[in-house]
Amino acid sequence: MRSMIVQDLDLGGRQPVSHEFRRGCINVVLGRNRSGKTRLARVLSGLETSAPGTVVCSDGDVSGADARERRVALVYQAFVNYPNLTVAENIASPMRAQGLSNSEREQRVQDLSARLRIADLLQRFPHELSGGQQQRVAIARALAQDAGVLVMDEPLVNLDYKLREELEMELRALLADTDLTVIYNTSDPRDAFKLGDEVVLMAEHEIIQSGTPLEVYRNPHSLTAASLMSDPGVNVWSEEQSLRAVRPEHLTLDSERIGDIRFEVVLTGLETNGSETFVHCSYQDNEWVARLGGMRHFEMDSTLALAAASGDVLQFARMDAAREHA
Amino acid sequence: MAEKRVHWSVYAFGVYLLLPLYWLVNMSLQRNQDIVGEFAIVPRNPTLTNYAEIFTNPVWYEAFGNSLAYVSINTLVSLTVAIPAAYAFSRYRFLGDRQLFFWLLTNRMAPPAVFLLPFFQLYSAVGLFDTPFAVAFAHCLFTVPLSVWILEGFMSSVPREIDEMARLDGHAFGYFFFRLFLPLIKSGLGVTVFFCFMFSWVELLIARTLTASEAKPIAVVMTRTVSASGLDWGVLAAAGVLTIVPGIAVVWFVRRHLARGFALGRV
Repeated sequence: MRSMIVQDLDLGGRQPVSHEFRRGCINVVLGRNRSGKTRLARVLSGLETSAPGTVVCSDGDVSGADARERRVALVYQAFVNYPNLTVAENIASPMRAQGLSNSEREQRVQDLSARLRIADLLQRFPHELSGGQQQRVAIARALAQDAGVLVMDEPLVNLDYKLREELEMELRALLADTDLTVIYNTSDPRDAFKLGDEVVLMAEHEIIQSGTPLEVYRNPHSLTAASLMSDPGVNVWSEEQSLRAVRPEHLTLDSERIGDIRFEVVLTGLETNGSETFVHCSYQDNEWVARLGGMRHFEMDSTLALAAASGDVLQFARMDAAREHA
Repeated sequence: MAEKRVHWSVYAFGVYLLLPLYWLVNMSLQRNQDIVGEFAIVPRNPTLTNYAEIFTNPVWYEAFGNSLAYVSINTLVSLTVAIPAAYAFSRYRFLGDRQLFFWLLTNRMAPPAVFLLPFFQLYSAVGLFDTPFAVAFAHCLFTVPLSVWILEGFMSSVPREIDEMARLDGHAFGYFFFRLFLPLIKSGLGVTVFFCFMFSWVELLIARTLTASEAKPIAVVMTRTVSASGLDWGVLAAAGVLTIVPGIAVVWFVRRHLARGFALGRV
């Protein structure tokens, strides 16, 4: 058993955190900046042991154990490698700590560098590599630890867009055939769908919901959960003492008649990338965004009729709203 | 490629800087009667007898040995004390850390002369007087704070994540510190050695007060070499030249990192 369980872990939110990160899964932890993701990563990896609560992994209760004793690997957001060691020495570093023999180390370094496609860079130093390559080295070193748990704290955020997509796909394939428990922090809901077998939503240092990405997407328990899983955020309005929300992708032009609820909105801005157009508008003093297919053009400040299917409308209790704006 | 022309004032300044040095070397290669005789830009009867005198006369070469001894002890002690201290200041937060750190620097504000009396009395009492250790330890009062400041700057420029990564990799602290961390700040170590060495090597007041005969350093011997037969110009000049050599050697090794050292490791 190599899953990782946290129980009543106090990350500084109102409620302590309890969750089981499943083995052989990529558990995507989704949350905005300062939502406690990084704190969670540091607590899981043992860099911080002061948080009250229990952390259990395959070796049993490791709550008070330092990172040295835990079999948990961590990949940082920044590309962190030992600057004065070559790529090969960097990857070999955790194996050296574990006392593996020279030939074993060499073998594993070859193996890992081939899998991460950095085999021809082994004799270089980190500063001679591009950002993507540096992160590949960091990932290889984390895997070299042969730990049961791999924590990745927004590992691809500092890469440019194309590289990120590429490395994301590779990571997915790389991690699919291991039975590692992967905990992957991100603030991008797309990562949850692309990588996640399971998604954990965090806000204000608490876990607010978890489940498969589709489950959480379809059935968010709160407005915060809904907007976390939506990019751009959900469109909110109030009706009959409750709060309603609809995702940007569920809005259509009324003239194209797909939905059964109609909204009269005032256009405030347009943003297009060729394949999609983001229509910024206001509805009942709320800022809205609708995501329409193709290139669109409308007059600024004109009134537009949008529609949504009633099945796509999310409904939340008012309580949540108070919390949202607190 | 267009050749860069050096302004004449640079040459003028160079000559101005090098003139006393040149004159020292010039004197060291002449006999006394030639030095006090007719003015000559280039030595008329160059000789190495002055240097021979220094290398054969125990008063001279032992003085060099004494100087090197306390300078080495000072540098060694300063590094041994300052490296862990700088690491603590760089990596840990503790009560009063800022104040303590600043207080280290304020030590440098007191003129060395202030400490002459307590050092003299204290070292006489414990029997350290007139040993290289007396001078080395006294100099530590100045070089340790300086070393802590310089090293803290260099250490703080190493990301904390490196420390954490070593923990994650499972390395013991000792392995991390000596094999991974110190090599990262080796230029800082070089600069620190330079500053300790330089302070201790040129310092005269404390060195003179805390030594009598056994541990007399070179700078002291030089200022005391006025014998009944008058000044021995040539030998003094040769000793001067030899005193400069270690400094030049140390500067040569750390020349690329010196600027950062003067900024106390903070760039």
